[in-house]
Amino acid sequence: MEQHGEARREQLMADLRTLYESLGYKRFSMRRFEEYALYLENKNFLKSDSVLAFTNPDGKLMALKPDVTLSIVKHARPERQGVEKVYYKESVFRLAPTAREFVEIDQMGAEAMGAVDRYTASEVVRLAIESLRAIGEPYVLEVSHMGFASGLMEAAGLTPEQKERFFSLIRRKSLHELRQAVNEEGVAEPYAGRIAALADLSGPFPETLARARAIAPAGPAADALEELESLYSLLAALGLDDHLLLDFSMLNDLDYYSGVVFQGYVQGVPRVVLSGGRYDPLMRRFDKEGDGIGFALYLDELTRLLADRPTWDADVLALYQETDNPIQVNAAVFALVAAGLRVFAATEPPAGFRAEKTLRLNGADFTEVP
Amino acid sequence: MLNIALPKGRLGDRAYRLFAACGFPCAAMEQEDRRLVLTADNGQVQYLLVKPSDVPIYVEHGAADAGVVGRDVLLEGGNDVYELLDLGFGACRMCVAAPLNFREDLSAPLRVATKYPAIAKRFYAGKGREIEVIKLNGSIELAPILGLSDVIVDIVETGSTLKQNHLEVIETVLSISARFIANRAAAKFKPGELQPLIAALQAAKGEII
Repeated sequence: MEQHGEARREQLMADLRTLYESLGYKRFSMRRFEEYALYLENKNFLKSDSVLAFTNPDGKLMALKPDVTLSIVKHARPERQGVEKVYYKESVFRLAPTAREFVEIDQMGAEAMGAVDRYTASEVVRLAIESLRAIGEPYVLEVSHMGFASGLMEAAGLTPEQKERFFSLIRRKSLHELRQAVNEEGVAEPYAGRIAALADLSGPFPETLARARAIAPAGPAADALEELESLYSLLAALGLDDHLLLDFSMLNDLDYYSGVVFQGYVQGVPRVVLSGGRYDPLMRRFDKEGDGIGFALYLDELTRLLADRPTWDADVLALYQETDNPIQVNAAVFALVAAGLRVFAATEPPAGFRAEKTLRLNGADFTEVP
Repeated sequence: MLNIALPKGRLGDRAYRLFAACGFPCAAMEQEDRRLVLTADNGQVQYLLVKPSDVPIYVEHGAADAGVVGRDVLLEGGNDVYELLDLGFGACRMCVAAPLNFREDLSAPLRVATKYPAIAKRFYAGKGREIEVIKLNGSIELAPILGLSDVIVDIVETGSTLKQNHLEVIETVLSISARFIANRAAAKFKPGELQPLIAALQAAKGEII
């Protein structure tokens, strides 16, 4: 029997909710809007500058949430219980990726805030992997560490403007333009070559890690690789390393993210479907104790993937006549439904309607039309 | 199989010659075929022939795994794709051109006619100059002649069109050449097909100019 994309998506959300709740993550519900100032002050955390704003009756500028994590961190009280684990399923309002138009997007995610130890961090990464697996194979979880690129650039003594310029080229893997930019900014060797290498430093975990080691200066960059190595050996020991890639071209904003960052892809969806990482600096910005790690799933990207191409409008077109007894029609239609079929009952086939089978009421039952 | 979006026209013809030299020739492509989807003779690549400005859109949305596009189109569209290789050919410049002996009036916003409003806005924003963009779709050179704009931002190859219309280049905005781009997800799921292709393109690009 065919199932619609929407029905499958709802099933997926229910499965994920069970998964998050069975690990003690509590549902975090919130209003649809926040003060606009929250997003203005944290513009770089958002994927886009465009926020849908309106004025409330007191004249205060409000915004429909373009993001959930900021609200969660703002309201977090991790100091009360060591580590606070929450999950959410919320609508966010963003510009559509293709048109300059606001759309409502379903987002689901999980966050752990407070005393995030090595186990808790690995639990969140594993939840991300399990979430991708629930969507379907093949999937890829791409991992990186903010400390590697930032440590490398720190060691090279770059200005924030130079960093920003290089970051945007690295994200596009634009090796040729990165080389040119590094040259124009007068970066000295060996850092010029090492920064240019970032655009191309991706692939299977162990070999990419080895390539990164060869260019890592001591300090934060080397520490970042240590942390990646320990995460990898942990996931490998659990047999979760099949779908991992390391890609140092994946860079988030340094004001919010530090440490491990990751993105998930599933085959059949051209864009990122899961994105997350360690956001200790974000916690600092909101004066919260402890650290934070979490991820968001972009459910809207999945609807088309999860949908079967609809061939039929219904499994059965059940035809009856005006003169038939409605009690009999009702009982016969619901008997078909109980057998697991999608039924459309009518006296005439609607124009253009396509059903796998057309049945006609014959006494107490629907039977094949000869 | 890899789906590769090629721009219709001169740039696409050159790009195709490069792919053919890399081992993906396509007999139908060489015979003025009118179809828009053509499979390479070895069956490993499918060429999609699309309007140049649509190439990054096909790639961003995953309808094509990779594509070839001019840097001008890429910067104007701002599409989220990997820009993996500078193919070197199709080299030209995007310039600001003005009538001969043009003197800029700094007391008013500069009126700029262009096919590339995003690039023009970014260029002048970087200089802190206020402009009024007039988006045109062709014959840009006409705009300053008729007083529709003060200057134009457009692609300059030889400069002869400018000269014939009594215009001259006053500034270079950026240099342009053809780029090999790829969809982000395709780069994760088809590395086995993309990586050897990139290596082959890199090796062959010097020879096909």
